[in-house]
Amino acid sequence: MSPLQTTWHHIRRSPFQSLIATTAMFLSFFFISTFIIINSGLSTVLKYFETKPEITLFLKDGLDTATVENLQKDLSSYQGIKEITFISKEKALTIYKEQNKNNPLLTEMVTASILPASFEITVSEPEVLEKIYQNYSTKTNVIDEIIYQKDIITSLLNWTNATRQVGFAIILIIASISFLTMITIIGMKITNRKDEIKISRLLGASSFYVKKPFLLEGIIYGLFGSIFGFLFSFLLALIFQKSINSFFQPITFIDLNVNFYLILLFAEIITGTLLGFIASWIGAKRYIKF
Amino acid sequence: MKIVFDQVDKKFGIVYALKDISFEIDQGEFVFLIGNSGAGKSTLLKLILNQLKPTSGKILLGDIDLSNGNKDDVNNTRRKIGVVFQDYQLISDKTIEENIALILDIVNYPKEKIQSRIDKVIKEVNLGTRRFLFPSQLAGGELQRASLARALAIEPEVILADEPTGNLDPENSWNLVKLLKDINKENNTTIIMTTHNNEIVESMGKRVIKINDGEIVKDYNISKKS
Ligand SMILES: Nc1ncnc2c1ncn2[C@@H]1O[C@H](COP(=O)(O)OP(=O)(O)O)[C@@H](O)[C@H]1O
Ligand SMILES: [Mg+2]
Repeated sequence: MSPLQTTWHHIRRSPFQSLIATTAMFLSFFFISTFIIINSGLSTVLKYFETKPEITLFLKDGLDTATVENLQKDLSSYQGIKEITFISKEKALTIYKEQNKNNPLLTEMVTASILPASFEITVSEPEVLEKIYQNYSTKTNVIDEIIYQKDIITSLLNWTNATRQVGFAIILIIASISFLTMITIIGMKITNRKDEIKISRLLGASSFYVKKPFLLEGIIYGLFGSIFGFLFSFLLALIFQKSINSFFQPITFIDLNVNFYLILLFAEIITGTLLGFIASWIGAKRYIKF
Repeated sequence: MKIVFDQVDKKFGIVYALKDISFEIDQGEFVFLIGNSGAGKSTLLKLILNQLKPTSGKILLGDIDLSNGNKDDVNNTRRKIGVVFQDYQLISDKTIEENIALILDIVNYPKEKIQSRIDKVIKEVNLGTRRFLFPSQLAGGELQRASLARALAIEPEVILADEPTGNLDPENSWNLVKLLKDINKENNTTIIMTTHNNEIVESMGKRVIKINDGEIVKDYNISKKS
């Protein structure tokens, strides 16, 4: 019998233990996949807010062109600015009309003169926002109002970090439990086959020869656990993609990027296989003492 | 391989199972190990197999001193020794045939020759279709022959047979001894066999080592009766 056949024999001899080991691995990788998918969504959300027109300076009415140009020059001198867009009163009206095109009553009543002109500033370094906010909030002669999404970002950041920490803790706990479960189950299987191992050793089998089927067994649990864990998580992502994305509109929270999922699957298969191997190796080392 | 015991003691706790055992057995010898129950015969065979380690003294198998602690040496010598265990040591959830296939795999027997080798030894020990049964389905004598078939399968340099006729009827006992004799003669295989069967020992005309209470009391050759 080849080691693989022996392994298959072992798996079939105690199907419930095999099921528990695979389930433990499955759960770990289900949580890991789900966590990574959610985490990537959260990153997209954060990035969205961090790179959106983060700060909008609404100008006072009736500023002359020179003042506006000076303002723009002054703003562009900051480090870490990505783009400064001037929205004139006319443009503001266009945007307003576009946003409310389904509501003609609203658009009819509005003229360009009552909408303020503004600067929309996007940045690559979020810290700049704070500076701009500090410096311009005092310039009440030219600035009418500043809309700064700082609060949104900080709370979002806190929220994301908390989610990441909790997720990470959950994964650590579940992975540890499933790792210990694997060790124990491999140990039980070895104990079940103590006689066979002892006899094989008496017949001249090396220690590796008798361990090999159990190592393979661990690898198989890790392999299948990680594949099924990924697939289940991926399936949920597929099913709930629409509703989740429409909730986060206009952000694509679940981006079904083929590369992302392939890399994830690949990484999980490697991790699963390695984890299964290490667990069974520890189990075999612990229990095969003869 | 030549087997050398040099002043070997084996103690279990404070009890001596073997005391000051020294002998040499050349490759190709046929040796009977006799003595009362509890004399230390099985212990001696277990020392050769390194299933037990001596308390003191030296055991050489060929040019290998097993006390050097090299695991590869132990495994390699074990693969050259076929053992008929007193308690059979067959794996319970493998059929007889699978048990034999296992040892052939362990000694790295050429894969394509495994099946024909199994067929041959099964035939030699007369197990026929019982090869497809599990150990729990066989009678004592059949288990003994199965254990022998496994020992023969690897074409060993040495066969250790611990009371291999213990559960056999007279006819099968003689068959087994004849088989061992042929193998000894044809392949120059060393045979060390423990037995209580004086009739067999007397008639074979081979070397006899008699143990009493853990000590060798006699090491002699019986001239063959004609
Ligand atoms: N594992 C062991 N632990 C303690 N005593 C043992 C053990 N194996 C054998 N003995 C003792 O060593 C002595 C020799 O046993 P054994 O070699 O089996 O005798 P034999 O095979 O000649 O009947 C006996 O007294 C037996 O009780
Ligand atoms: Mg005995």
